[in-house]
Formats: sequence, C-alpha cells, structure tokens
Amino acid sequence: VKLLLVGMNHRTAPLDLRERLAVDEPGPVLRKLVACDEVDEAVLLSTCNRVEVVVLTREIDSARLRLRSLFRRELAPDGAGVTEADLEGCLYEYQNSDAMRHVLRVAASLDSMVVGEPQILGQAKDAYRAAVECGAAGAILGRLFQHAFATAKRVRNETRIAERPVSVARVAVELAAQIFESFAEKRALLVGAGEMIELALRALREAGLEAIAVANRTAERASRLAVQFGATAHGLDELPALLGEADVVLTSIGGSEPWLTRPVAERALRTRHGRPMFVIDIGVPRNADPAIDALDDVYRYDLDDLGAIANENAEERRREQARAEVIVEAEQQRFDGWFAALRAVPTIRQLRARVESIRTGELEKVLPRLGLDDAGRDAVDALTRAIVNKILHAPLARLREEAEREEGIAHLETTRLLFALDQADPDAAGSEGGGESEPT
Amino acid sequence: MVVALQFLTGGLYLLASLAAGAGFTLARPALLRTAVGVLAAGAIAHGLSFTLLHAHEPTPPLTHLPSALSFMAWVGTVGFLLLAWRARLAGLVALVAPVSCLGVAAAVFSNPATSDVRADVTGAGSLPHAHVLLASAGLALLGLAGLAGLSFLLEHHRLKRKRRLAGAASWPSLEALDRAGAFAVAAGFPLLTLGVAAGSLWERSVTGAFFSGNPHETFSLLAWAIYGVLATVRFGARQPAARCALSSIAGFAFLGIAMLGVEWLA
Repeated sequence: VKLLLVGMNHRTAPLDLRERLAVDEPGPVLRKLVACDEVDEAVLLSTCNRVEVVVLTREIDSARLRLRSLFRRELAPDGAGVTEADLEGCLYEYQNSDAMRHVLRVAASLDSMVVGEPQILGQAKDAYRAAVECGAAGAILGRLFQHAFATAKRVRNETRIAERPVSVARVAVELAAQIFESFAEKRALLVGAGEMIELALRALREAGLEAIAVANRTAERASRLAVQFGATAHGLDELPALLGEADVVLTSIGGSEPWLTRPVAERALRTRHGRPMFVIDIGVPRNADPAIDALDDVYRYDLDDLGAIANENAEERRREQARAEVIVEAEQQRFDGWFAALRAVPTIRQLRARVESIRTGELEKVLPRLGLDDAGRDAVDALTRAIVNKILHAPLARLREEAEREEGIAHLETTRLLFALDQADPDAAGSEGGGESEPT
Repeated sequence: MVVALQFLTGGLYLLASLAAGAGFTLARPALLRTAVGVLAAGAIAHGLSFTLLHAHEPTPPLTHLPSALSFMAWVGTVGFLLLAWRARLAGLVALVAPVSCLGVAAAVFSNPATSDVRADVTGAGSLPHAHVLLASAGLALLGLAGLAGLSFLLEHHRLKRKRRLAGAASWPSLEALDRAGAFAVAAGFPLLTLGVAAGSLWERSVTGAFFSGNPHETFSLLAWAIYGVLATVRFGARQPAARCALSSIAGFAFLGIAMLGVEWLA
C-alpha cells in the first residue's frame, strides 16, 4: 500500500480558486472516493488556506488520476467545474514519506500562513473525525493522523513556536494582559471604525473585554461597529467624557494633529484615581502625542512599537521553526518505519497460515492413533501450538524489523521462496514434508 | 527535629527559587506554578518547625534576630501564597522564594532552638513575644509590599520603554502587583503598629518609661511614622500606582534599616 496526498494551499493557489474548491461537508466526497477500487482510505482537509486529500492506495497511478479528477470536477459545488488550466501549477502531490511529512507539518502548523497558529490542529482533528464518521479513514490513516496530532503536541510543548503573538492585534492584547489582571470589568474606547480597529477589537473581545464604546466622525460607521460588537456609538465631541472611563483606548482616526494630547490625557487621568490607561494608537499619522508617555499611568503603543514587537516575535518563531522541523523529521522517520513494516504483514500472515495448516494437518493424522482423552488432546494441541509460536517468534520479529528498511525486502522475498508462499498449491509441499514426518 | 525541619524548609525554598528562576528565564509558566507548589510545601514545613519550637519549655521568644528573620520569611511566604491563590501572581515567586530562603538560612545557621535568647526578656511576661511576633509579621508583609513594588516598577519601566521580554507573559500584571502591594500594606501596617505598641509596653515594664531613646526605638518610631504617612497617602490620596510602588520600596528600605540594620550594627 502507498500513501498519496494531493492538494493546494495558500502558497500554490489563489484565494478565489481555494474558495471555489472549499468543502464544507466532506462526508459525501469521501464516501464516493473510498467506493472506488483504487482508494482504500481517505481524509479530506479543507480550510481557508488549503484543500488537501490524503489517500491510502494499492494503485498509485489510478489513485493520482482519481484525485486530480476530484479536484477538477467534484469539489466545486453545483458542478461548477475547474479547468485543467486553473489547476495548472496549483496542485502539489506527495507520496509515502513525503506525504507523511506533509501531514505532520500541517498538523504542527509549520505549513500554515502564520506559522504556529493553533487553529490548524483543530481543523485537522475535525477532518479526521469526519473521515472516521463516514467510514473513509481506517487503521492506517488513523495511525498517521494520531501520530500527526501527537507530533503537533510535541512541537507545541518542546518549542516556543506558538508562544508569542505575531499580529499587531494580538500583540496589543498580550500587552494589555501585562497591564490588567483581567478584561472582564474593563472598558474600551474605540476612536475610528476602520479595519485595523476592528481587528484589534476582535482580539480584545476574544480576550474577554465586554464594555466598549465606539466614537467616530461618521455616526453610521460607528453604529455599524457598535451593533457588530454590542457596543455603544458616540460622536467625537463625547471623547473627553469617554476617555475618563476608558481602560483601553484604541485609536485610528484621520487628522494631521494628534487628538490625544498631554492636557487631554491629564484631564482624563484626574477622574481615574490612579487607574492605568492603555493607549493603542494605530493611526497614521499618530493620534496620540508621544508626550503622554511622561504620564505615569499611561502606557502608549503606536503602530511602530507594536510592529517592532510583532517582528521580534516572528523572528523568534522562525528560529523555533528550525527546532520544530527536527522534531517533525524524527517523528516522520518513526512513522515511516511503522508504515514500511506493513510490507511484511502479508508474508507474515501467509507464513503463519501455512505453518498452522501443517500443524493442524499433522495433528489430525496423529491424534486418532494416540487414543487420548479430551484433556490429553488439548495438551498436545497446546504443546504443538507453543512449539510453533516459539520457533516463529524470532524470525517473524526479524522480518518486521527488516521490512522497515528498503534492503529488507530481499528477506521477505527469500522467506516467500523458502516457504513456497507464492505457490498455487501449497498442499503439494505440505504433503511432501508430511510424508517425512510420518511416524515410523 | 526543629533543626531538621528548618533544613527541610531551607531546601524546599531553595528548590522553589531554582524552579522559579528557571521558569522565568525559560518563560515556562508550568515551572513557576511548580515553584509555588514547592514553596507551599516549604511553608508547611516552616510552620511545623515554629510549632515544635514553641513546644519548648520555656518558649524561645524569637527576640533572637535570626529567629525573627525566619518568622518574617514564613509570614511573607504565607502572605504571598494567599495572594497568589486569589490572583495571577505566580511569577512573583521568583522574588519571594529567594528572600524566604535567605530568611530561613539565617535561622538554620544560628540554630535558635539552642541559642541563649532568654537573658534580655526576663520579667517582661509575654510582651517581648507579642512585640516580635507582631512587628515581624508587619515587617514581613510590608516587605512583601516592597517586593511587589519592586516588581511593579521593573515591569512599569519595561512597558514604558516598550521592551519585549520573553518571560513577560508569565509575570504578574501591573494591576495584580499594585493590588498585592495595597493588600500587603493594608495588613502589614496595622500589625506593625501593634508591634510598636507592644514594644513600648515592654520597654515600660523593664525601664518604667514607654520610650528610652535608644537607636532601635528611635529609628523604629521614625520608620513607623514615615510608613504611616505613606499608607495614608496611598489609600487617601490615590496617587499613581508607580509612585505607590516606589513608596513601598522606600518605606520598607527605611523600616528594614531601622528595625534590623540598627540591631545588627548594635
């Protein structure tokens, strides 16, 4: 059996193509896939950044054609097919060790757009669960995905790849957490209603911030954001009053001069009785005068400050990625060994069956002549079984070990030859041997 | 047995210090939490050692400086553990554990169980004991406020300078440090006040006067008055948290010099 992975991701395919091929409900696709002769098991991973199918197959060429056809004709909804030209250069393909490595890297978030982001592991688990539920994932892909999840956990525990935020919004939240014990009772003031403000607000909201006021020049945009986040909308004329109550100030509004000057901040602080204020200034030009840094209770970070921290964190992630790749490589080799050992399974099964048939055949001949009662028969049966198991134990273990190496295939072939496992009529050999074992 | 428990306590505090140092340096919150657990185990052994010490007949009054330091370390540790139980303060263990370790080391190497410490307290009843217990407990909590203040100021300046720090995420927030400092001052100052009062009564029982003017008494009273002003300003005038932190450090430094430095120099 072989592993084959075909897919596209954010590096190889444009967003519009990924959007067209994204699959919300993988069950029907997978059921159809495993119904084909050439596919034994399959898992489909579809996220906003990738669409990938990994299959277990005995006929790699047919499976490859089948998967390409899947991308071209079946993934797009309502039969809106994708042309070969659309897919040109967008699809990648990995086999066996490369496919395993890719699955491990994806689960460990090393292949993500933002390396180390945590969502991909959950998405991979969902994809595997969906494949199990529709009967498309069996023992081998199951083992691969469980190994991938364990590898991702190891990467997360043994490296710092996911520790530091790399987006401006997340950096702002991390800084806020270094100032405030909890966001539950904190109030945020948003000045402006642009995309950056929205991203930062979303991150703060996820961190637990609830009380939010939005102030903007255009009431309509402020209202839109207020409705979206359950906030209150205000005009800019209310800023002084709002500022006195705000623990977190997010500002990104146009204007040639900063609106948050030192006198304005000082007035607000007088009503705050020593409570700190975190000012996140993501406006260009700056909305908050750097002179407010001199005020003890104000912590001001502008876009450059946040960007510098994000860049340092990204650099740290890149350093950690090298360590993570070493872990993935080691885990891939471990899985590769297990996967390669599967080559020995048919030979081992056949050899066991052959020896068992010889044992039972000889017992059937001998036992009637011995005149034993049931207990005696059971004892002889157990004795012969134990002898056979002990004789086979070492060679079978060795065969499994050898099968993990490419050179070990010769041992499998020798075994098949010695025990005539490929012979159409094994009884011929059995009767010959059996003749020699006749009691004299 | 007491000495064995003190050695055990010292060992556990040392282990907690090492785990906390490693946790902070490597930015591993799990190590910091482990350090807090080890520190708690040390505090239990420490408390047990005091219980056994007080089972001695007659009871050592803790006027022996190393014993008082060890007691302060215990009160400070328990105070920290209570605060860490209620707020996200585990990172502060990196400062508390080494200080507690030093406090216990003083007692371990001077062996208070066998020290002759009763000579200067005869005839004073339980006042020396009450004075040392209350003043040491107050001093320990004010010391904890000082450590929280020091930690606050370091973090405040780092955030003001916009410097990134690998272990910053596992360090307590400014708000938590400020609250911990406020709680420690609110609990420590009344205890210190009672300790100073007990000391005056002790002085009266020995010399007939509440105040004899020796350096220890003079500096203690001065330090208490300064701390009184600082506590009033902190809770009354709601000054900025950074200034509260600075006053906690300055107040404790003066108090430490007054109550321990003068004693040592004498």
